[in-house]
Amino acid sequence: MKRRVPLIIVFCVSLFMVIQYFVPLDSLERVYRSFLDYTIIIGVFALLLGIWSLCRVNYDKIKRKSENWQYAIITLTGFFIMTIAGFLSGWGRTDNYLYQHLFSYVLVPIQATMFSLLAFFIASAAFRAFRARSLLATLLLISGLVIMIRFVPLGFLSEPISDLAGWILRVPNMAAKRAIIIGVGLGAVATAFKIMLGIERAYLGRD
Amino acid sequence: MTTKRLTGHIVLGVVLLVCTLSIVVKGLLVTVGALLTLFIFSFLYKDNPYYKFAEHLFVGVSAAYWMCMGFWGTMVPNLFGKLYPPMVGSVIPALKDNPPEPFMVIPLFLGVLLLLRLSSKAGWISRWALAFIVGTTAGLNLVRYLRSDFIAQISSTMIPLYASGAAGFNLGETISNSVIFLGVMSGLIYFFFSKEHKGVFGTGARTGIIVLMVTFGASFGYTVMARISLLVGRMQFLFDDWLGLIR
Amino acid sequence: MRHLLRLFLILLLAFVVDGQSVYSQESDPVTSTADSVATEPVTPPPASAFGLAGEDMPNDNGHKLRVKWQYPAEAVGDITGFEIWRATSPTGEFRMLGQAPNDYFEYLDIGNKETPAPDFMANNSDFFYKVVAIGKNGLRTESEPGGPFRTYGQWFHRGKTPVLVGVVLFGCFTFYFIRAAKKGKELYVRPLAGIEAVDEAIGRATEMGKPTLYILGIGTASEIATIASFAILGRVAKKIAEYQTQLIVPCYDAIVMSIAQDVVRSSYLQAGRPDQYSDDMVYFVTNAQFAYVAGVNGIMMRQRPATNFYLGYFAAESLILAETGNSIGAIQIAGTDQITQIPFFVVACDYTLIGEELYAASAYLGRDPLLLGSLKAEDWGKGIVMALIVVGVVATIFGWDGFRELIRVNL
Repeated sequence: MKRRVPLIIVFCVSLFMVIQYFVPLDSLERVYRSFLDYTIIIGVFALLLGIWSLCRVNYDKIKRKSENWQYAIITLTGFFIMTIAGFLSGWGRTDNYLYQHLFSYVLVPIQATMFSLLAFFIASAAFRAFRARSLLATLLLISGLVIMIRFVPLGFLSEPISDLAGWILRVPNMAAKRAIIIGVGLGAVATAFKIMLGIERAYLGRD
Repeated sequence: MTTKRLTGHIVLGVVLLVCTLSIVVKGLLVTVGALLTLFIFSFLYKDNPYYKFAEHLFVGVSAAYWMCMGFWGTMVPNLFGKLYPPMVGSVIPALKDNPPEPFMVIPLFLGVLLLLRLSSKAGWISRWALAFIVGTTAGLNLVRYLRSDFIAQISSTMIPLYASGAAGFNLGETISNSVIFLGVMSGLIYFFFSKEHKGVFGTGARTGIIVLMVTFGASFGYTVMARISLLVGRMQFLFDDWLGLIR
Repeated sequence: MRHLLRLFLILLLAFVVDGQSVYSQESDPVTSTADSVATEPVTPPPASAFGLAGEDMPNDNGHKLRVKWQYPAEAVGDITGFEIWRATSPTGEFRMLGQAPNDYFEYLDIGNKETPAPDFMANNSDFFYKVVAIGKNGLRTESEPGGPFRTYGQWFHRGKTPVLVGVVLFGCFTFYFIRAAKKGKELYVRPLAGIEAVDEAIGRATEMGKPTLYILGIGTASEIATIASFAILGRVAKKIAEYQTQLIVPCYDAIVMSIAQDVVRSSYLQAGRPDQYSDDMVYFVTNAQFAYVAGVNGIMMRQRPATNFYLGYFAAESLILAETGNSIGAIQIAGTDQITQIPFFVVACDYTLIGEELYAASAYLGRDPLLLGSLKAEDWGKGIVMALIVVGVVATIFGWDGFRELIRVNL
């Protein structure tokens, strides 16, 4: 019961998803769309589990006074204030001052700054690639450099570099991406098959 | 040590002064945004209490934000609104007069099953809901990958190795087409799992990894500018929106 | 009395004429401007379209019809285009569907599938069409109604035949090789550096007394990459349980967290150490992309894992995570099917599983004959793809484009 029912559900649902792709019946399409809606709704229920996990982990930190426990208070405070703000305006509305401003002046700037850290990290990663001493790393570096400097004015070198960059993007780049996509396609299909047939069942646990 | 501490105090003093001025001139909100931006940037130097503060605040606020979004944006219109339309009449008047959809009890049931994870005895039953999601994924991906990625890429590689145009034989195009053909073939050879990379096969696989590396380099180089522009955006926020130094 | 009668007749006539013109304006907009011809006798109305034909479009549930018509070649220059109107009976109310340019003599009518919609087209039903030619002078001439044209629903989408062939063929390969593996046939798989390093990496963490960090990416459970990562997590967690070292799995998605908890719990059970498992190992951080990154960066900086795994679906955060991991000196093993993120992992990590290698990893780690059998099937799939490409290339050299058409998916 514990193992078999989930496997039967996986098999039936996945088989239905495959069949509906080939059979153009409205009724099947409606069920298909409903299934997709169901997964989104189940996802929101799961979010409650996530929130439970977040609160418990942080509460435990505070209770045990483990290292950096003071910051767990900040997480929980931030969480509760934003939650209260989300329900402050009444049923279905979030247009209150607190919610909007927490979004615009806390969430947005931190998010944008975290994203912009990538500029520094991409530089440090490129620097590491510079120091690499293997043929493959050198190839990666040269090709990366050619693409990076393709718009930089370098006198008589500008045109050939720009041409070479265009060629790399159009030809070897496309070829390798195709090989990866074909491989990924096959691997994904094989994995989907294994899940459908119950060969791959790690996601169910083993007890 | 004392010099370091002194420098620290000076920096803190300057920051406090700038903040006080900023609160007076620009208002509290922009100052908060700018400070949080600086806190996150401080991570580049090393992990420190300011970063820890911003990080923990960010985690808590974002989790609550997405929970509210999930509740008001998904749960209310897609579940409650369909089970009992008058319930959402005040928010989405268009849904109010729709007939109820009794089948929406299914996701409600599966969602409740999932919540049973919190019980140590009935936790196993939550796998039914997970199995539903995994089954949907498996079936969907089985055909999706074959359709969009796989077959389209094969047919696009079927190009003539000998290219000729109106002006006759086209050497450049012929070379490019041949490189695409050889690149795809050698890339595929590289991904063979059940063949040893030896002999002709080994040469193919080595060619494959060379093409892959050139591609990874190109992809890396292509992203650099986009990432730098993100940083420029943040700098603009600090120096223009906050400090008003750029005009 | 005679005068009175004459007056009455004149009034009656005036009323009838007036009523007729009102009627024509309101109920039949198609011919409305034709009435004004009398006042502008300079240009005649355009010629009428004729020979309306309709055919059902295949591969749907009977909601599409293609309408074709003919038009005198010498009159094409006099018109700006056509309007296409549809009704359920020749005398019923016609509804305008759309327009076509003057040199286009067919229209694909894609009806709505839902009943309350005004342009609903039912399966197995008859429809009638009118084509209105719109003259450059603004005058319009409608054709005779054409029909009935019937819609038919199909049970199989023929355009998707190549996909079906692919699924069946690949399914057969998988079955065959799994059976062969079950019978005990030895299947060779070449070594993958990233996989071989897993043991060593966990061993290192054990020696150093530091934790191992396992990141499943920011995909949901709907990503194949995430599902492949669960399988690897199971193997990794089992080894960690055996070595009695610490595992940290911070999650981005709550469903992924739920599944990962099950996976790790059962791995500990398998390793004979169920008491050492706790839900605190696998926990939820947040499902905001960069807040998650900030949180994981914090974990790396404060808990200093010796080994980091990044396996699953990744987007822009890949480089931030991998570079932070690099800065703390952790051994890093990454793998994703996202082409745009692979380069960052290649540069910042010690080992990278590229695309398909991520899916194959669980078979490698488990050495389960059933899973290895499916790897062999994938190789056969690749072999067939290569053969198809070679044949396709040869075909194009000889100018036979039909081969490429054979494998085209028409949605």
